[in-house]
Amino acid sequence: MTELFLTFALLSLFAVGGISTIMPEMHRIVVVANAWVSAPEFTQLVAVSQAAPGPNVLIVSLIGWKVAGLAGALVALAGICVPSAAAAWWAGAIWDRFRDAPWRALVQRALLPVTSGLVLAGGYLVATPEGIGWRNALIAGASAAALYATRLNPLWILAAGGAAGAALFG
Amino acid sequence: MSDLTETKVSSPVPPRSLTELFIGFLSIGARAFGGVLPWAHRALVEERRWLSPQEFAEVLALCQFLPGPNVANVAVVLGRRWFGLPGAIAGFLGLMALPFAWVLGLALLYADWAAHPVVRPVVAGVGVAGGGLFIGTALKLARPIAKRPVALAVAAACFAAVGVFRISLLLVLPVAVALAVLAARKRLV
Repeated sequence: MTELFLTFALLSLFAVGGISTIMPEMHRIVVVANAWVSAPEFTQLVAVSQAAPGPNVLIVSLIGWKVAGLAGALVALAGICVPSAAAAWWAGAIWDRFRDAPWRALVQRALLPVTSGLVLAGGYLVATPEGIGWRNALIAGASAAALYATRLNPLWILAAGGAAGAALFG
Repeated sequence: MSDLTETKVSSPVPPRSLTELFIGFLSIGARAFGGVLPWAHRALVEERRWLSPQEFAEVLALCQFLPGPNVANVAVVLGRRWFGLPGAIAGFLGLMALPFAWVLGLALLYADWAAHPVVRPVVAGVGVAGGGLFIGTALKLARPIAKRPVALAVAAACFAAVGVFRISLLLVLPVAVALAVLAARKRLV
């Protein structure tokens, strides 16, 4: 249990940009080095964590669950989250203290294009799991347009995506 | 629910109590199908109006440079800003509580349903639409830079480096931030 916590706590600090950054290293530790789950199991857990609503980081609680049940799930999630949450606490404190500093306004202006580009890249990667094709482009393009231009509840957009998936990928 | 123009003009009001904060983040985790970020933007900026679009983009930018899930970091930073340590904890737990239950429940269900021929294409379609929601959110975030060519070039370069060429964020982030800060100093972005 301690090992589970420490493993994910260490990974936590390298997860800049979220869980996808550390996925290869996590696979190495969980499947190859410790054999906590098998390779096919790992792939299945990744799929489940991506299909479930919520942060993809929850893959670690599925791994913890396989290792040690509900307690394992909670411990693994705490491990991956506590160090990064502490970093966010500390960075947020500095960020808010310098609210009116000229350097902050400068950094803020500089970061906006970087942020926009990275969110766009995240969407592109999720929308093209097996390369770009007309089906993916159609579903992702229509969903993006609907979210941007209308106030439609995104649940409807996702439901339409599911229906389109059944029609186009089936 | 009001129209888009009103969202832009009315000034944001932070949550008044810890309970309100907790429920707000709970409502994000409750329905975060297809990714958390589009729902966080919708709940915090459009529905509850705790933040202006600019403030949201600013907090998100900070959180992208920190390790860990971006929106969990947003919950910690905003909770701290509004209510200190209890706020950070309430925001974080509110965000994670329901997704934690969803993912364990889905793992239990998945074993029985994965083989069903309809499940795979529907899940694939929802996944692609979820990617589309991120693209739509990126467009919303980019509204303020729409008429600044250098800023758009920086955004496009970040997109290409991470999305198309699959270069590690650990490499892309420092380079992109350094270039963007240089451009901002020369008032180009």
